[in-house]
Amino acid sequence: MKTVMEGSHAVAEAVKLARVQVISAYPITPQTHIVERLSEYCADGSLDAKFLRVESEHSAMAALIGASSTGVRTFTATSSQGLALMHELLHWASGARLPIVMAEVNRAMAPGWNIWTDQTDSLSQRDTGWIQIYCEDGQEALDRTLQAFRLAESVNLPAMVILDAFFLSHTYEPVDIPDQAKVDEFLPPYEPKFLLDPGNPCAFNQLAPPDVYMEMRFSIQTAMQSAIGVLEEIQNDFSEIFERSYGSIEPVECDDADIILVTSGTVTSTCKEVIEKLRSAGEKVGLLKISLFRPFPGEAVRKVLSRTRKVAVVDRNCSFGSGGIFAQEIRSALCNVPDHPLVYGYVAGLGGRDITPELLEDIYWQTKNTDFPELDSFWMGIREVKDGIICSGS
Amino acid sequence: MKNSNRSNMCVPLLIPRSYKTSEENKTGSWRFLRPRYLEKTAPCSSVCPVGQDIPRIQMLAVQGSFKEAWELLLSENPFPGTCGRVCFHPCESACNRLEFDEAVAIRMIERFLADTASRYELQPRLNKLAEKGKKVAIIGSGPGGLSAAYFLALLGYSCDVFESSNKPGGMLRWAIPFYRLPLKVLEEEIARIESLGVRIFCNHHVEFEKFKHLRSNYDAIFVSCGYQKGRRLNIPGEESPGVEDGLTFLRELKRDPSSPSLHGSVAVIGGGNTAIDVARSVLRCGAKPVIVYRRRKEDMRAFGEEIKMALDEGVRIEELKSPLKIEKKESGVILTLQKMKVAGIDESGRAAIEPDNTDPEIVSYDRVFVAIGTEPSEPWYVCDSCSGKDIKLYNSVMRFDGQFPVIFGGDLTTEAKTVTNAIASGKEAAMALDVLFRIGKDFVLPKISRCRVGNGLSVSMEIYLNGERKNRVSHVVSYAEINTDYFNLIPRTPQPRLLREERINSFSEIDLKISGSVAMKEAGRCFNCGICNHCDNCYLFCPEIAVKRQDSEEGGLRAINYDYCKGCGLCVVECPRNAMVLEEESA
Repeated sequence: MKTVMEGSHAVAEAVKLARVQVISAYPITPQTHIVERLSEYCADGSLDAKFLRVESEHSAMAALIGASSTGVRTFTATSSQGLALMHELLHWASGARLPIVMAEVNRAMAPGWNIWTDQTDSLSQRDTGWIQIYCEDGQEALDRTLQAFRLAESVNLPAMVILDAFFLSHTYEPVDIPDQAKVDEFLPPYEPKFLLDPGNPCAFNQLAPPDVYMEMRFSIQTAMQSAIGVLEEIQNDFSEIFERSYGSIEPVECDDADIILVTSGTVTSTCKEVIEKLRSAGEKVGLLKISLFRPFPGEAVRKVLSRTRKVAVVDRNCSFGSGGIFAQEIRSALCNVPDHPLVYGYVAGLGGRDITPELLEDIYWQTKNTDFPELDSFWMGIREVKDGIICSGS
Repeated sequence: MKNSNRSNMCVPLLIPRSYKTSEENKTGSWRFLRPRYLEKTAPCSSVCPVGQDIPRIQMLAVQGSFKEAWELLLSENPFPGTCGRVCFHPCESACNRLEFDEAVAIRMIERFLADTASRYELQPRLNKLAEKGKKVAIIGSGPGGLSAAYFLALLGYSCDVFESSNKPGGMLRWAIPFYRLPLKVLEEEIARIESLGVRIFCNHHVEFEKFKHLRSNYDAIFVSCGYQKGRRLNIPGEESPGVEDGLTFLRELKRDPSSPSLHGSVAVIGGGNTAIDVARSVLRCGAKPVIVYRRRKEDMRAFGEEIKMALDEGVRIEELKSPLKIEKKESGVILTLQKMKVAGIDESGRAAIEPDNTDPEIVSYDRVFVAIGTEPSEPWYVCDSCSGKDIKLYNSVMRFDGQFPVIFGGDLTTEAKTVTNAIASGKEAAMALDVLFRIGKDFVLPKISRCRVGNGLSVSMEIYLNGERKNRVSHVVSYAEINTDYFNLIPRTPQPRLLREERINSFSEIDLKISGSVAMKEAGRCFNCGICNHCDNCYLFCPEIAVKRQDSEEGGLRAINYDYCKGCGLCVVECPRNAMVLEEESA
C-alpha cells in the first residue's frame, strides 16, 4: 500500500516490519524522527522490541553490541557527530562480527555547526568494516533497510543504510509499505551463528595474538567481499517477492556514453533529469549511481565505466588534502584497466548546499570541454570570499 | 535460498572464543606496583594528649554504634564526660577538615557519647587483666592520679589513692566551675574508676614523712598532686584584706555555690584559664568583674573560646596594665596600675612588654582576686630537672629512690598544664610501671616509645595492649593525602548553648546536649584520615575484582587477591582517606 511519508518514517516502517528486537539510540538531528517513531511503536506495543535509552551514541552502540551478542536483531540510527562518537565501537561491532543495522542520516560535521546533508560523516567511517548502502529516495530507504538486515546477518557484518539529511530524511514521498507476511517471507528471524548463552558459558573477543589476529582480519575482508555476491542473491529474492529491484550500482544510458556522471544519494534523481535533457539535445551522456560503497563493487563499476572516455564523479564529501572520496574509489577501480577513461572529480553540495540541474550541466560541459582534468578535484560553485572570519548573519 | 538469512556462499567467520574461565589469566603477573592496606595516623589523634582513636570513634558514631565508640574512648581515657566538656581540643585545630571547610566538632561528639552512656546507665566492657600481686600508692586524686589508678587497675595492680581534701577529683572538682563541668559528670566518672577496685582515701595529706612511710607498704608511688598553690604577685599590699587568691575563691564557690555574695567592681589579675573562670564566676555572684592583664588580650594563656564567652557575658578586660601596689581603703582596695606597651615579641610568640612611662593609674575596686598561675604546694613535689638515673618519658618521669620506683605526673611533669595532659601522664605512668614490673627497667622507654601515636607526646593503651591499632604506621595523614572528591562541603554543627541572659545568673552548664542524629551527622563530616571505614571504594573500583571482602565477625575486612591485582593503583587513588599504600614490587 502506497503512503506519503517522510524518508525517516520509511526507515522506521522497515525496522518495524523487520521485527527488530532491541533498539538503542541517542537523538540527533536529522536522524531523530526515525527513533522517535520507533519509540512510539515500542510504547504502543505495535513493535515488540526493547528500546534502550542511553546517554550517548557511544553507549547506544555499546548496548547493541551486547544485545546483538545474545543473538537478537538490533537497530540504531545516528548522524554526524553522533556517528563520530561511535567510532571506536564501530570497529568493535565489525570485529565481533555482529550484524547490527544502523540508519545513518548524512549530516555535515561541525564546526561550523551545520545540520544539513554532507556525506563526510559516513565516509569517515569507511574503514570500520561496516557495509555502507547509500539511498536515493524513501522507497529505497525502506527496501534497503530490509535488505540490510538480511545481508548483515548473512555475512556477519554490521550494515549502515545511509540517507541524505532533509532531502531524503524529511521529504514526503509516496512509499509502498509491504505486507508483513511478505517481509516475514523475505526476512525470517535471525539465526545467530554464535551467541552468548548462559547454558553454554564462553567468552568472546578476548586476546588475539599475532599468530591469529591477521587471519581474523582476513576473514572480515573475505566476508566483506563476499557481501557483493550475497547482496545479488538477496536482490533476486527481493524482486521475486516485492517486484522491485536494486543493484549495487545502477547504470543509466551508459552503453554508448562518451561521458558518464557518477552520483550517490538523492542527487541521482536530479541527475537523471539532466541526463534526459542532455540526451534529447544529442549529448552522449550516461549516469552511474553507486548504492553499495562498502564493499565497493569494483568489478561492476569497471564493467560500466571501462568503455567510456570520461567519467565525472560528483562528490558531496571531501577527504581534505585529497579530494572527493567516491572519485578516489572510482580511480582506484579503473587504474589497472588498459586505456581507462579520464576521471574528473567534482566536489559539490557540501553542508546542504543545493546541487541544481544547472550545476550538474556545468559539470558535464566542463568535463566535455577539457581534454584533461587539471585538478584532482574541482570545487563547484565556490563563491569569492575574503579570508577571515565570517560573521553569522553578515 | 529464499526464506533464509544464510547465504549459500561460504562466508568466513573467525573470532576469538574461549570456554575457559577468564580466571585462567592471572593478571597479577603484570604487576610491578603493589597496593596494600596500610592504616596511618590521623592528625587529630597525634595531637590529642591521650592519643584518642578519633577517626575510629567518628566512624563508630556515624554507624550509631554509640556504646562501642564510648568504650573506645574509655580505652584511652577514663574521663570522656569531663574531657568532652573541658578539654582544650587540640584535635580540632589539627583536623584536616579545617582546610576543607571547618574542623569536625570532635569534643562535642565525645561529650555526646559519654552523656548517652550515662543516660542509659551503660556498663562498659573493660578488659581487666589478671591480678599481678603488686600495689601502687598514688598521691593526688586529680585527673592524673585517677587515670593512673584506672589504668593500673585494668592492668592488674592494686591501687590506693591518697587525697588531701575531703573529696576526690583535684582541680576537676575544685577549680573548674559548674557551668563548665557539672558535678554529676565528674562523680560518675570517679565512681567508674572506684568500681575497678581503686580505693580513694580522702583527708589523707601526704607530707614528706608520710611519703617515706608509704614506701614500705607499696611497690611504687605515683606522685600527681598538681599545682595547688596560687602564685604571688610580690607587690606591696598583697596581704591586704580584700585581696584573695583566685583558686581559693573557686574552691570555696564549689564547696558552697550559694555562699559568696559579691557586689560592686571586682578586679581579677591574670590572663590564664583560672583568671577567666574567676571573672565569670564573679559575674555570676552578682559583681562586675574586670580582668587586669599586663599583656594584650591575644597573649592571654586562656583558651580563646573561654575568653570570647567571658567577653560575651560582660567581663571587661583591661589589657597592658600591670599592678604596682595594692592599698586597703575602708570598703575595698585601691590598685595602682602601670600602663605597659609592647616591645617586640618574646620566644613564646607573645608580646614582650615594658612600662610606657606614663603616670600610673589608680583605680578602686571592691575586691581583688589574684590568678596569675599556680605552683606545687610542697617543694619535694617538684620534678622539673631530671638526673641521668631518671627515665624521662613523654608526659611523666620515673625516678628511682634506691631501687624504689617513684613516678611523677600531672602538672608536675606535663608540658601543658591541662586536664587531658594530666590524664596522659597517668596512663603513661601505668604503662611504665607495668613494663618495669613485668620486664624490667631497661625496657620502659623503648616499650613506651613504641606506643606513641604519630610522632608527638601521646601514647596509646590500645597499642600497648597489642590491639589492632598497633598495625597503623606513625605517618600523619595530611590534607593533601585526602581524596576530597568524595566529600561535600558541610558546615560544622554549632554547639547549642544557654542564652547569655540565662548564663550570667546561674552556674548551670552552658553547653547544651545534642541529639543522636546531630552527633551522627557531625561525625559523618570526619574524613576518617588514614583508617578504613569500609566505604568499599577499593572493592568497587578494582577493574580485576581482586579486592576480596571477607565478612568476618569483627566487620568486613578486605584483602587483595594478588593473583589478579595487576597493580593499577586505582584502589589507592580512590581511597578517600589514605588507608592504602602503593609500593614498588620487590624484584
